[in-house]
Amino acid sequence: MGRRTRSAAAMAIVPLLLLSFFHLLQFVSSTQEIRVLSAEKRIDLTSPIARVFLTLKVENYGAPEVPEILIAFSPTESEHLAILKASTVEGKRKKKTYVPLSVSPVSSPDAPNGAQLYSVTLRSPLQSGETTTVEALYVLTHSLEPFPTEISQSEPQLVYYRDSATILSPYTIVEQTVYIKTPSSKVESYTKVEPTARSGSETRYGPYHDRLPYSFSPVIVHFENNNPFAVVEELVREIEISHWGNLQIRDHYRLKHAGARHKGVFSRTIAALGYFYWVYDTYAKHPCRLDYQFRQSLSASFKTLLAMLPPRVHSVYYRDDIGNISSSHLRINSQKSELEIEPRYPLFGGWKATFTIGYGLPLQDFLFESSDGRRYLNFSFGCPLIETVVDDLTVKVILPEGSRNPTAAVPFPVNQHLEMTYSYLDVVGRTTLVLQKRNVVPEHNYPFQVYYDFNPIFMLAEPLMLVSSVFLFFVAYIAYVHIDLSIRRPLKTNS
Amino acid sequence: MAPKPVTSPIPIHLYPMLSALLLVVGLLVTAFFFIYEATTSTRNRCLAKELVTAAVASVFLGFGSLFLLLATGVYV
Repeated sequence: MGRRTRSAAAMAIVPLLLLSFFHLLQFVSSTQEIRVLSAEKRIDLTSPIARVFLTLKVENYGAPEVPEILIAFSPTESEHLAILKASTVEGKRKKKTYVPLSVSPVSSPDAPNGAQLYSVTLRSPLQSGETTTVEALYVLTHSLEPFPTEISQSEPQLVYYRDSATILSPYTIVEQTVYIKTPSSKVESYTKVEPTARSGSETRYGPYHDRLPYSFSPVIVHFENNNPFAVVEELVREIEISHWGNLQIRDHYRLKHAGARHKGVFSRTIAALGYFYWVYDTYAKHPCRLDYQFRQSLSASFKTLLAMLPPRVHSVYYRDDIGNISSSHLRINSQKSELEIEPRYPLFGGWKATFTIGYGLPLQDFLFESSDGRRYLNFSFGCPLIETVVDDLTVKVILPEGSRNPTAAVPFPVNQHLEMTYSYLDVVGRTTLVLQKRNVVPEHNYPFQVYYDFNPIFMLAEPLMLVSSVFLFFVAYIAYVHIDLSIRRPLKTNS
Repeated sequence: MAPKPVTSPIPIHLYPMLSALLLVVGLLVTAFFFIYEATTSTRNRCLAKELVTAAVASVFLGFGSLFLLLATGVYV
């Protein structure tokens, strides 16, 4: 009796096992019939933001048709991943053009150790025996870890970068090389995974041959990076549209130096010395004959920040809670406007500064009427400060009073909601579209559109309000003159 | 069809002049209104004339102050 039930259970399990085996086989085969012939990964760590250029030469050797290929990221990488762009090269030599490809995240429970997969859709499915080249650029934020975590004012800033010597991929890679570019040749230490070579500011891992899918060999590079790690913890951009001819922008920044924390006292002398050397290096053609190491190390604090503003900007201001900050320069030409600002105090590791930049722009440069009669704002998303990471970006588009049905067209996923803003001469309030995005890098400076319906008759609301208030004053005066408020009996004249 | 840029109904560089002109006319009409109120006796006053003068003055002063706001950079 017992034996029979056991064998019955076994009979039931066998097909299940077989089924799961086939599933596994299918998954393996779909990834195994693609291989990467050559892969190159160039990691640019010269700025506080890590940029990775990945070139994959992919071959399909057996699968009938492959519409998309997968790119894998480790869990830490996918957490810090700000943007991933892919493109393919078309044409040869001088007629090379880059065609962008669409990228979408894939839920991948089968991937080992929580690797996150992104699929790149190819322009045309890869036939059996064909090869194609895919280039990907991805940007990682907060992936340079300062070590030592605290430095004094004149010490250089050293950071760790962690990655893998082999490229994480769901496919077998026949030949691969990883290059890590550091800002200077000052590399304290780096993990050796033979063959490893270092020349100047570049460290090379590889070439490695025939690595299995998902092979990972962690490496750490410890190097000097004296760039100020400008991180805007919170940026609130208010874009106020007035149909009377102006676009008013107000940017509220909460800036932080996210590099190694400042230790000990702050000396104005050393800070001023650092500033002097910086000016000297910038404006003198021949190098200053002073200790280079000392000079370089002074530069880990902010001197100036550069904001790229649109051309034809006017009424620019730069202030904080206690008033105007006088240290700023504005350079305007027909292509762009550059606003160079200096915080109220030099910013060292862990220090913060809050300030506001505001300016006006001509309406006709940014507001358009589409063919279906709707109006739309075309403005750049992202932060105007160059080489800056924004942890939390909020863009508030304040539409004129009386506008309806706002819709946003943003090229990447954002959170959005509506709210009301009250400004000058408002009765019902201005409809405001709020867009929120985390982890924004300069690669997000891309135009977005906000469409809305607006009847020009609503432009008359404000002047009519002013007119009626003046008219009410006159009417009150007329009423006062006409009403006789005296309590004495009216005098009889000509009696 | 290329998108059509949306411009202000009146060119921006005309705002200061327009504001001055409208305010001057508005104040003149206001002056006329008050002179009329002060110089005519209660029986001779015509309510319609008072209201029309008030309306004209308030239209000029209202639009004048709007363009004054716009010219000074307060874009309503």
